[in-house]
Amino acid sequence: MVEEILEFLILGLVLGGIYALFAVGLTLIFGVLDIVNVAHGEFFAIGGYALYVAMVVLGLSPAVGLVLATVVVFALGLVVYPLLIAPLQKRLGRRAPGPLFLVLTLGLSALMQNSLLAAAGGEYLKVPPAVKGGLDLSFTFVSGQRLLILIVASLGLAALFLFLRFHRQGMAIRAVAQNPAAAQSVGIPLGRIFTLTIGLACALAGLAGGLIAPLFSVYPAVGFTLTIKAFAITILGGMGNLLGALVASLIIATVEALSVLVIPSEWQNAIAFGTMILVLLVRPSGLFGKKQP
Amino acid sequence: MLAVEGVSAAYGRLEILHKVSLDVGPGEIVGIIGPNGAGKSTLLKTIFGYLPPFEGSVRFAGDTLAGLSPDRVMRQGIGYVAQAGGVFADMSVHENLVLGGYSLGSRRAATAAIERVYAQFPLFRARAHQRAGSLSGGEQRALAVARTLVVKPRLIILDEPSAALAPRFIDEIYATLAALNRSGIALLIVEQNVRRILDAAHRIVVLDMGRNAFAGASAELRQSDRIRRLYLGEDAG
Amino acid sequence: MSGLRVRTLAIAVLAAAGLAAPLVWSHPFVLHVAIQALIWALFAASWDLLSGYTGQVSFGHAGFFSIGAYTAAILTKVAGLSSWLGMTAALLLCALVGLCVGFPALRLRGHYLALVTLGFGEIVQLIATNCENLTGGPFGMHDYGTFTGLPSDPLAQRQDAYVLVAAIALAGLAIMLTLTRRTNAGPAFRAIREDQILAGSLGIDTTYYKLLAFTLSAGFAGLAGALYAYYIQLVSPTVGSAAASALVIGMAVFGGIGTIWGPFLGALLLYSITEGLRFIGVVYNLIAVGAVMVVFVIFVPRGLAGIRLHRRGRQQRADRPAADAAS
Repeated sequence: MVEEILEFLILGLVLGGIYALFAVGLTLIFGVLDIVNVAHGEFFAIGGYALYVAMVVLGLSPAVGLVLATVVVFALGLVVYPLLIAPLQKRLGRRAPGPLFLVLTLGLSALMQNSLLAAAGGEYLKVPPAVKGGLDLSFTFVSGQRLLILIVASLGLAALFLFLRFHRQGMAIRAVAQNPAAAQSVGIPLGRIFTLTIGLACALAGLAGGLIAPLFSVYPAVGFTLTIKAFAITILGGMGNLLGALVASLIIATVEALSVLVIPSEWQNAIAFGTMILVLLVRPSGLFGKKQP
Repeated sequence: MLAVEGVSAAYGRLEILHKVSLDVGPGEIVGIIGPNGAGKSTLLKTIFGYLPPFEGSVRFAGDTLAGLSPDRVMRQGIGYVAQAGGVFADMSVHENLVLGGYSLGSRRAATAAIERVYAQFPLFRARAHQRAGSLSGGEQRALAVARTLVVKPRLIILDEPSAALAPRFIDEIYATLAALNRSGIALLIVEQNVRRILDAAHRIVVLDMGRNAFAGASAELRQSDRIRRLYLGEDAG
Repeated sequence: MSGLRVRTLAIAVLAAAGLAAPLVWSHPFVLHVAIQALIWALFAASWDLLSGYTGQVSFGHAGFFSIGAYTAAILTKVAGLSSWLGMTAALLLCALVGLCVGFPALRLRGHYLALVTLGFGEIVQLIATNCENLTGGPFGMHDYGTFTGLPSDPLAQRQDAYVLVAAIALAGLAIMLTLTRRTNAGPAFRAIREDQILAGSLGIDTTYYKLLAFTLSAGFAGLAGALYAYYIQLVSPTVGSAAASALVIGMAVFGGIGTIWGPFLGALLLYSITEGLRFIGVVYNLIAVGAVMVVFVIFVPRGLAGIRLHRRGRQQRADRPAADAAS
């Protein structure tokens, strides 16, 4: 029994790493731009497709594939602000009604997902794991891919936090999230920071997509459920709070993993949705949040 | 140095400024006073680029500022101290200063400049790692001023530097500003505290309902009965 | 006659002609598309009543549509109720559910509200997929029959169904328009959309009106769902999917958020066009909808409805698209 729990805990940690890469990026965009990126799951999906193309079509090594996935999605993410959001902001002013930007990213999501469907077809594409073998613990066997996910996700998140804390541009991103007017007054160009932020967030999503591709398969809607769960996670952690997103990711992933012991697996997704609704009713600012709904 | 001519600005359809003009010479202190709603803060925001004017010109040392965003205006050598919420409250004092040096490029380039500011404001060296939001109102105001100094501005724009401060802190702020002015920095100050600004400034500009009402040397205005009645009360002495 | 009366008359004539066209033409496929377009139109208008007009943006509206569809199907299959009763039950049940969803929504705004409605939609879909005994599971339900009292000849059945659906959809639209143009609810909804706090301080009972908007909007969405159930004769979980919610928002954006008739028209047109484009390929019409949403939100914020209004003077403050809706 204890062994089962430990096994699921590890699974929870692994999934939590993926959720965290995804949700932290989503939270970053929300914290800096006040926009919920409904299309985040599509960037995640493209990461998976990029890995597929790299490994299966081009025959490159998994490491190169992962780097490619991250870089390609980063580049795509850089385009989002200048091309789509800036024109709308210009027309409406930055503190425009949030829902309108939601509709924009919703449209982007539909556009991207269906474009993927058109370009690549709807089949579930298989990607071989990056690392074979695994770690044999007494109570369970942890596959190499899962270990890889844990390690790379942790490194990626650590790199992000260090960047935000110490690097000049990372500090600028934090400054814009906290106080855009003051940020401008010290010379930080808002547009460029917005662009960078979305690029970074999407890069994390792309990395997550590449990491999980061997486990989830690659198909156009692969990011969809994750997106909705990520909304739940960001609300649980407190919208705009990166640490909150990280913690909430681990919580939700572990609860989901452990829940298999108690409820039928087809209801697993309800945990995230239910949590979100519960949090919104009881404590809308989430675990760590400050922004009031 | 700073020449504002015939500037009109609006928030949406609400026109706030109507053909306002003023100028600030090098090393001068110019104060802007006027009743509430006169558009004083809006004027500062327009000069600094937070709000684009729809007519008129704003020039600094010959270069046009109108239409530039604030991050580009500040690079011309102008600092801005907001009325409230000017510091990055969730960051440390040191991080605030580091950000003050953002426009210098790398963090390394800013280090010497930040050292210089610490020398001018020893108080902050001791509190370098304290969260800026936990400083007192007066200290936060001083931090906002200190932050602008990292990049050696020629002109600093201040929006009601004495707002919500106890008299002791107002003394300190104005002493700091006087010292800065002596070192050659020009100041453009919007003030509700008319007494203070009459003492501190070389010239005063009065705005009313978004228009120029009158202007003059502060020494003159101190004598003016009208000013005394309007802003200082009957018993001003 | 004055210009306004000429315009109104012209619109009425055009509308009548447009409505009669599928009947006159009587091509089965045309009727098929037209009926579904009308169902989506009612659905879109219901979404707009809540989200565009009252500003309570719902991202899970397909959940109400789904509940309505399943209610009608289940009641007819299990209790043998006529379609009239089934539709009424669907409308009432969804109105009730809408009222319930409205309560937590009272405290939330903007993104949070949108996300909670999204969660609601997902939960509805989960229930529809997993409660096999009730809903038939992932494959849905299909053996409950169609509208009561229709002739058995396929073409005549379709023609009658068309008249029925058109009548109900237009009635629904008329009710929503009357409500917002001719009662106190209209200005109250608009005030809530513009500035809730101000509305409250002006004495408008925001709680009452928000709940009213939720109730009515959900009810009409459920009615649309029931119409769908009886016409298509197949109800499955995808009916309440997030994609469906997204689609109805896209139609509303196309037609002009905040006008109610705009989304109605937008849905009619967009659905007809994309179904017509289906010959090019199923996927491209969905890409088109996504593209429409993106492009229209940025560049054509008032949608089709906005194109017809005469140009006001140049506005410096960019209004929210719904700001000038409804006179």
